[in-house]
Amino acid sequence: MTLTLILEQTFNGLQAGVTLFLVAAGLTLILGIMDFVFLAHGAQVMIGAYAAAAITQATGNFFIGLGLAIPITFASGYLLELLIIRHLYRRDHMEQVLATFGLILFFNEAIRISFGPAALYSDLPPSLSGFVEILPETPYPAYRLGVIVVGLVCALAIHLFVSKTRIGAMVRAGANNPEMTAALGINIKILFRLIFATGACLAGVAGMMLGPLTSVQPGMGEPLLILSLVVIIIGGIGSVRGAFIAAIIVGLVDTLGRVFLPSILRLFFEQATADGAGPALASMLVYILMAVVLIFRPTGLFPAKG
Amino acid sequence: MTGTFHFAGLVLAGIRDNRMLWMLIAGFALFPLFTHIADLPFWNDVAMRIMLLGMAAMGLNLVLGYGGMVSFGHAAFMGIGAYCVGISQFFGLSNGLLHIVLSIGVCGLLGLVIGYLALRTTGIYFIMITLAFAQMLFFLFVSLEQFGGDDGMSIDRADFLIIDLYEPLRLYFLIWVALALVALALMFIVRSRFGVTLRAIKSNESRIEAMGLVPLHFKMTSYVISAVICGLAGTLFASWQEYVSPDIMHWTRSGELMIIIILGGLGTLAGPLLGAIVFLLLEEFLPVALGTVAPAYAENWMILFGPLLIMVVLFGRGGLIGLLDRVVFNRIFKRKLAVK
Repeated sequence: MTLTLILEQTFNGLQAGVTLFLVAAGLTLILGIMDFVFLAHGAQVMIGAYAAAAITQATGNFFIGLGLAIPITFASGYLLELLIIRHLYRRDHMEQVLATFGLILFFNEAIRISFGPAALYSDLPPSLSGFVEILPETPYPAYRLGVIVVGLVCALAIHLFVSKTRIGAMVRAGANNPEMTAALGINIKILFRLIFATGACLAGVAGMMLGPLTSVQPGMGEPLLILSLVVIIIGGIGSVRGAFIAAIIVGLVDTLGRVFLPSILRLFFEQATADGAGPALASMLVYILMAVVLIFRPTGLFPAKG
Repeated sequence: MTGTFHFAGLVLAGIRDNRMLWMLIAGFALFPLFTHIADLPFWNDVAMRIMLLGMAAMGLNLVLGYGGMVSFGHAAFMGIGAYCVGISQFFGLSNGLLHIVLSIGVCGLLGLVIGYLALRTTGIYFIMITLAFAQMLFFLFVSLEQFGGDDGMSIDRADFLIIDLYEPLRLYFLIWVALALVALALMFIVRSRFGVTLRAIKSNESRIEAMGLVPLHFKMTSYVISAVICGLAGTLFASWQEYVSPDIMHWTRSGELMIIIILGGLGTLAGPLLGAIVFLLLEEFLPVALGTVAPAYAENWMILFGPLLIMVVLFGRGGLIGLLDRVVFNRIFKRKLAVK
């Protein structure tokens, strides 16, 4: 029973981790290469989730929803960069915080006007709503397993893209030293726009996959945004590898902490103290983790610049 | 020659900034008279909110505007200040002075610890670590069930011995006095050697280090002072709202404080207060304005406010103070330069 629970929660943690990675992968490059504080990345998650949920409801087919939502999020990221973001690269961090904060307000309200304040629910197709036995007599929801697989495939694809392709080399060079990269004749403007759109698309994929698991509502991306910022800081700004490792760590720590910390505390403290402190400590755990990492390694675990 | 003019401009700008600040504060003192004559008691409430958020923004501005440290977690100190009231009352301590002393102590200590840890980092990392600490405190209070958790706790207005805050305008003038004291303190801090050094660190930290000073000490001190001011604003906010919940320290409030500062004018004394006035008036009037054009969408005023913010960042250098400077002052000043 306990082993089953631990296994199940570890998988849930992995699922949270890979979803976080999808949000963080693009954002770490936006922060690292463009030195741009982009807070509206959560809105991309929301746009992805809404696009997928709305199209699924309209067509009745979950996979059409997913398929069409991907180009939509890519286009939204591309247009956003073209219209607003590129004018903000040279501004200081605080102005970027403000402008992208304005974007958050705008997107949340736009979604609220077009879809109403209530949450959208999308049902899973029957082919994905079953259970898979990950170990004998240990069933696990097929959809969550699917999310993990998709997340890992995306992570592998991003890794291969960044480390093996020519554009990937440009991205790495950009993260390390953008001025020098531009001086070498690489069109850094186009590179920025593509990274931005791809990042938006990845965040959108995270949103689409989360749709059936959580409620699709205005502002749904913000908790994810804050957590993915934590991931990026722990992993080191601009490092995709760091983001992956940190995302898995944060996903596992957060999920397992919430489930097991109260019972672990109960071993050392009285019942009442443990029940009071457990949830509080569990929800602070990832931020404590981040603070500890920053105290010992102020530029994260795998800094890209150096 | 231009150098002299530039310097004279700076001095005059400083004097104008001070004058503007005290004009605003005097305006707040006279405002209840206006609401009494015009019979608009609701607006006293708005004015109190403006003063409280303006006070917090003035505190943050010391770090943000004068020190150049982009702290994205100052709402947490407001929250701590507010919970100092809530938790004290939970244990039966209703003395308002005690709340204020407690809030100053706790926020100062917390500012010291968070400042010490966060100031090891710079740039984006600093923004994020301050945000992380604020989130940490936010979730701490969300999960503290005995103090209301997510739902918060309703509280009574604090008890200030002879002053009964439930009588009309008592709270208004308590907040006003606090605002005036904070303004006075900040005016002296900014003018002092400490304030000058802080601004020098903002523009060139290594040069200050080479002069034999330790920038970290100055940064930490300013961080603690701003934390205490935000805490004080939060303490009074709790009495004003008669209610405290983790919402007060939500990360969007830290963003709001930043918006107020940028809107008014970064690194000026009057800017944050001016920004608070404009921000909260927009909050009051945008729904009304939107409601007259499109009644169905009055609640969705943020759809206008978001792009407005982006416009301010893109086109409004120096905030409202800067705008006033450019429009009113510089035109006259440039004419003088041209004559020379």
